[in-house]
Amino acid sequence: MPPELRRIFVISALLVMGIAVLWATQFDSMPPADFSIQNGTDPKTLDPHRATGQPESRILFGIFSGLLQMLPDGEPDPVTGLQPMSPQPAVAESWEVSDDKKTYTFHLRPDAVWSDGVPITSADFMWSWTRMLHPATACEYNFQLFSVPYAQEFNSGLVEIGDRCEVELFDRPNPDGTTEADTGQASFQAFPRGTMLYGTLKEIRKPPEPTFDDEAGKQLDEKEREQAILNWQETWVYVLDILNQAEPGQIDWDGPTTTQSFTVNLDSPQAAPETQRMHAVLVAFDQLGGIEAPDPHTFVVQLKDPLPYFPSLTAYYPLFPVPRHCIEEHGMPMWTKAENIVSNGAYQVKLRRLRDRVRLEKNPNWFDADQTSIETIDCLSTEGQNTALNMYVTGQIDWVTDPPVALMETLKERDDFYSAPMLSVYFYRLNTTRKPLDDPRVRRALALAIDRQQIVDQVTKAGQVPAFTLVPPGIAGYESPSGFQPDIAKAKQLLVEAGYPGGRGLPKVSVLYNTSEAHRAIAEVIQQQLQNNLNVKVELQNMEWGTFLDKISQLDYDIARSAWIGDYADPNTFLDMWVTDGAQNSTGWSNPDYDRLLQEAAAESDPGKRMQLLADAEAIWIEEMPVIPLYFYVSVNMVKPRIEGFFPSPQDLHPLHLLRIKSPASPTP
Amino acid sequence: MTDLFSYLIRRLGWMLLTVWAVYTFSFILMRSVPGNPFSSERNVPPAIERQLRARFNLDAPPLQQYTDYLVGIVTRGDLGVSIKLEDYTVNEVLAEGFPVSASLAILALVFAITLGVTAGVVSAVYRGTAGDLALMGTAVLGIAIPNFVLASLAILLFVFWIPLFPAAGWGTLRQVILPALCLGAPVAAYIARLTRAGMLEVLGREHVRTAFAKGLPKRTVILKHVLPGALLPVVSYLGPATASVLTGSLVLEKIFALPGIGSHFIYAATQRDYTLAMGMVLTYTVLLFVMNSLVDISYAVIDPRVKLQ
Repeated sequence: MPPELRRIFVISALLVMGIAVLWATQFDSMPPADFSIQNGTDPKTLDPHRATGQPESRILFGIFSGLLQMLPDGEPDPVTGLQPMSPQPAVAESWEVSDDKKTYTFHLRPDAVWSDGVPITSADFMWSWTRMLHPATACEYNFQLFSVPYAQEFNSGLVEIGDRCEVELFDRPNPDGTTEADTGQASFQAFPRGTMLYGTLKEIRKPPEPTFDDEAGKQLDEKEREQAILNWQETWVYVLDILNQAEPGQIDWDGPTTTQSFTVNLDSPQAAPETQRMHAVLVAFDQLGGIEAPDPHTFVVQLKDPLPYFPSLTAYYPLFPVPRHCIEEHGMPMWTKAENIVSNGAYQVKLRRLRDRVRLEKNPNWFDADQTSIETIDCLSTEGQNTALNMYVTGQIDWVTDPPVALMETLKERDDFYSAPMLSVYFYRLNTTRKPLDDPRVRRALALAIDRQQIVDQVTKAGQVPAFTLVPPGIAGYESPSGFQPDIAKAKQLLVEAGYPGGRGLPKVSVLYNTSEAHRAIAEVIQQQLQNNLNVKVELQNMEWGTFLDKISQLDYDIARSAWIGDYADPNTFLDMWVTDGAQNSTGWSNPDYDRLLQEAAAESDPGKRMQLLADAEAIWIEEMPVIPLYFYVSVNMVKPRIEGFFPSPQDLHPLHLLRIKSPASPTP
Repeated sequence: MTDLFSYLIRRLGWMLLTVWAVYTFSFILMRSVPGNPFSSERNVPPAIERQLRARFNLDAPPLQQYTDYLVGIVTRGDLGVSIKLEDYTVNEVLAEGFPVSASLAILALVFAITLGVTAGVVSAVYRGTAGDLALMGTAVLGIAIPNFVLASLAILLFVFWIPLFPAAGWGTLRQVILPALCLGAPVAAYIARLTRAGMLEVLGREHVRTAFAKGLPKRTVILKHVLPGALLPVVSYLGPATASVLTGSLVLEKIFALPGIGSHFIYAATQRDYTLAMGMVLTYTVLLFVMNSLVDISYAVIDPRVKLQ
């Protein structure tokens, strides 16, 4: 290569480097927000029907409002400093309950509007709740509406002969104006929906069910069988008497009909030439009176059971309204983009930057906008505990939600440190289908031999409360059974009774936990205690999250760590996990008396009796001990003294519009 | 010139082959680990899980998923939607995070090269002095100390004791300096040692002795006759250096709360976000391949003895 060329090369390399540096030092800087929160991580989504975790909920409670909202009610608890909260009017300015506690009538504010000015009506709630329950939305909190008639059937796709159903034809509109029927391509946008037909289910024509008795069938694993069954179900042909005229909202189910047939898979052997392709036949949930909108500002909900905690459910984000006009225009997930999203809370989304922040700004169209004090809020995706604390100390963050455990003892002494009991419990699941933990005596023995005080004092350190029951204290009107006390002598005695005197002959059990310093430290203490107290040898096994969850749901473990945060302030949220074959049970434990007590409690309209039934159920649970409770969490927050209006609450909820900045903003470096 | 072109074309061919192999390997690997993107503590009923799978084309037979996704990437440059960060496509995630990671990497590399080469030249020219010893001692430390330890020390020093820089975050030049320094420091240390070794070797050569004998000023000899030859090992190290800067940023992104793409890499893997993980793996593959090719070319330019083939 000639020398000139080499020189050119060197010069251009330097040039490129210079340009690169220039480019790299260009920033579009943004003035800091008035108030910054350590939000822990990026919200996975801002769709209230798809969100689950805390980082999402902090933002969703800020940008959406439900029928009701949780607000402080009464004086803080003098001992713990906990501020009781209760559901109070939000989009609904008032509500009434019928005498049998099964019919709720909500009166919506006439002036409630979306952030783009479109009025909020009861039809928005009808539509939102239907979307939330629709199987294609796959909302993880769908069970919160299962006490509304037909909600569960609608959600799980269960239909029976004679049911009044809706049929969604295979013609969902595409953004470009075509429909599925034109292109033949299935659209996963369940909203806007395809052509809806209504009618009564007359018959389901099913091809022969696949059997797994032959050689090929026996080789299939559980997943493949499940797939085969699902494929088979798609070939079912549904025959319905379709109403000739059906205006949603005022359907005359006894009107004139025509018999038509529908199927998901047109290749089905049962399909006739006139059979139409469809998405699904579902119970016509929104047309059967479970939820009704008699006028634009009245919303009526019927419940199957008198649920005393129903008002708090309506103050929880899965039941919040979502903007139909925005979702139908942009589709999912595009409607959640900062430039598209329309919301109805105290704040609206201004900007979303991955791994950085979600910037919220005051929504002037909120019904209570006069109450909102802080103009802009940054929800920072800061994950590192130390990083967040550094930023807090140097003034870049005003509210730390996850202070470092290692510094807890020092931080606890500070005035800006808030810690208070929370409705959540840390526990060890036991696999009751495997030896030796199938024996309740062994389960109890292990539970009795663990010194929880040592765990909360030396490992978790933030003031957690040792747990001897399942339901955390602090739920109004509920008193847990007395539980048990650690008793090593009794634990040894139980082991003798179970046939393992002195721990001899006890098969080795392992404790499974998801990889994390904190979980490992706790497991090690327990391993030590069981060894010293009972001479029981326990192995520790850590796995990363995905594998860990797989192992638990397949019951492929002996002991597994877990935790549960109450979805609402009622013992039921902790107790109904453990019913036979409950989706979150995953212990193999089943007790008919327990199931029956929970059912009776659900149907009981007298609050006192209901709580007693629940307490009886918890007593059975404690006696059988399918799970070892370890401690009740505390919420831990640090908030700058310049912020007013922050108080610890039982569900760790902190309405953003109640926060105030005391003095002019402190200088940020 | 023609050999450069044929070299580039051959490299491109190899790159496509490598990317395809990486794609295939990652595809198989991802689907053979236990767990799936829809595992969560709340169990999802099978019918709903199927709806979710259909949305991400995970219900198709594996071979079809393999080809569908590949065709999407090749024809439309579309890496699909992220399964876990539901509101984003993989392309959007990359578009948001990549400029941040790139800025950081560029600043770190430029800092590393400038500091490393200067330190190396100085200690080679003044070899055996206390200054040489100090510089090279620091370099050994720089190589030995992992960058997260360095970052903690730097924060303690420059955020708390001498409040020069903000503790974390992204958006201003002051916020990027500390992470870039921490990221570049080990690379700088390595480059310093390489430069010094290269300089010492070339300083002993006969053409250098001739140059000095001709009475050329020391400055000219060092810059014109010694440095180019001494930089060869440094140039060949730039490939691995880029790799180390890109992967090293995973840790620093967390410590300094930077919105780069590094952290997505880990999350995508642990949360079984197949599409995002694939996007990350492919991006890094292409990036490293391109950087290594550039290094090879510049090597040939600087050293006439090296032939591109």
